[in-house]
Amino acid sequence: MNSTFRLRDVGPLVLVLGFVFISVAPILWLTLGAFKPTADIIAIPPVWIPDFTYLQNFRDVLTQFWPFIVNSLVATIGATILALVLAVPTAFALVNHRFKGREALADWILSTRMMPPIAAAVPLFVIFRGVGLLDSLPGLIIAYAGFNLPFAVWMTMSFVRRVPKELIEAARLEGCTWWQVLKDVVLPLSKSGLAAVATFVFIFAWNEFMLALFLTTREAKTFPVVISSFVGTGRVYWEYIAAASIIQCLPPVLFTFFMQKHIVSGVTMGAVKD
Amino acid sequence: MAYAVSMTRAPKEATRRSFLHDDRFQMMVFIAPTCIFLALLTIWPFIYSVYLSLHAVKLTAMQRAVFIGLDNYINLLTDPLFLRAMLNTGMLAVTSITCEIVIAFVIAKAFVSLSHLKWVNGLRSLFMIPMMVTPLIVGMIFSYVFNPVLGIANYLLGGVGLGPVPWFGGSTAAMISILLINIWQWTPFMMLLIMAGLLSIRADLYEAARVDGAKWHHVMRFLEIPSIKGIVLLGVILRIIDTLRFFDVVYVTTRGGPGDSTMVLTLYAYQQNFQFFQAGVGSAAAVIILVISIVITTFAVKLLRRIEDE
Repeated sequence: MNSTFRLRDVGPLVLVLGFVFISVAPILWLTLGAFKPTADIIAIPPVWIPDFTYLQNFRDVLTQFWPFIVNSLVATIGATILALVLAVPTAFALVNHRFKGREALADWILSTRMMPPIAAAVPLFVIFRGVGLLDSLPGLIIAYAGFNLPFAVWMTMSFVRRVPKELIEAARLEGCTWWQVLKDVVLPLSKSGLAAVATFVFIFAWNEFMLALFLTTREAKTFPVVISSFVGTGRVYWEYIAAASIIQCLPPVLFTFFMQKHIVSGVTMGAVKD
Repeated sequence: MAYAVSMTRAPKEATRRSFLHDDRFQMMVFIAPTCIFLALLTIWPFIYSVYLSLHAVKLTAMQRAVFIGLDNYINLLTDPLFLRAMLNTGMLAVTSITCEIVIAFVIAKAFVSLSHLKWVNGLRSLFMIPMMVTPLIVGMIFSYVFNPVLGIANYLLGGVGLGPVPWFGGSTAAMISILLINIWQWTPFMMLLIMAGLLSIRADLYEAARVDGAKWHHVMRFLEIPSIKGIVLLGVILRIIDTLRFFDVVYVTTRGGPGDSTMVLTLYAYQQNFQFFQAGVGSAAAVIILVISIVITTFAVKLLRRIEDE
């Protein structure tokens, strides 16, 4: 394909650059604020370029609020693991086991994704209060895993479907139990898919805000809940908000980057001769 | 590889015929936990919400629930704040999704026409960033940018002799600001879908249209729109559901204010339940939100199936 710049590309390019600027500028502006001391962040006219070696805001946020970052991490990682542990066998069975009502069951699982979390809010609050899961990390893990489960099952199904049927049949003919087929055939072959599912669940759980807002009060408060409390009444510490926002955005980026290594396509290539 | 190893040791275990090795039992073990989990998280809460919505009940004193029939629903439908929340949510869904589709279509066309330039991919990734930022942080970003005192938006507008714009301060302005934030965050998502649709159109169809002397709006109407209809509808369904759940951004920017000007459904239900502890009223609102979600998705999925069948 011809990859040189043509004169008629100017119009679209200007348009694209304009929209890229609108997309990026607000994010960039808050990011710059994270490196400004109080006097600079409230200065008008604004201080455009801060001193990037000024890391006091990050230090302050981390020393004051690290327990809540830990809470967020534990809840997110726990929910990711729980969601996968439940979703993978279910997806496997829904793909490989023919039984009456299979499609209906799969549809039902996916349809629960449409449930607005607010509709489950009070019942969830009441059960959790009853069994002492309110304001606890196990409670958050259960809630987050549950709300991500439909999506995780649905996405895992699409990866399990790609495992060649011949391999599964061969394993069954050799006398493997379904459990062994799952553990020794399907799991090793859908590793990259599972990494993708894990990445999505991780991001959803890490960014979750409303459930944490009423399910946690002190002990298990997550980092987003803490950030939201920065804009209460009285003086708003914009420099801390900026630093905390960057910290909040980092784990999904790091996790995605880390998982990328495992998301390699074509693992099953060559496993079956046509 | 792993599966080759397993096959050699499997038969011995399988000969031990216990119910643990029964196929149907194994499959049930695989499926049951998820189903129980989801039932507890969706079916049971739904039944319980309906039950609560028919009672006068405080979240702080659940045992003192008094049956009042449909009073909560009747009160909701005559509560100006709830009606405002319905109106705002509907308005937000219609205007923001429409704007998103129009802008996304234009940008997608621009990106497609530039797709022969390799480095444009980088620009596309930059353009996608807003949809990856946590909605809560998006709220923070715009509280900062639109701040009446130290906000950069009014400073820049002042520099060219405009403003100051009240942003979250005035009632109409606040709603428009929320709308702009939505469009800002989700146009990239729509763009991604539309671009996928446009790229699936075969080049020879464009060529044929050109040979036939079709104008750009003919190409758009008879070639491009039919090709992206399905995927855009899918995007619209997801966005409507998002809008019904819309909470984080309003919670940190306006809390539904000033007055009731940016109140939305989920925030209304949240406040009734967890700020005023009116579990009955809050549950009735939640049930209404759920019913709207179910009606819209069922309808939309039917429509989607029909488009795909064409």
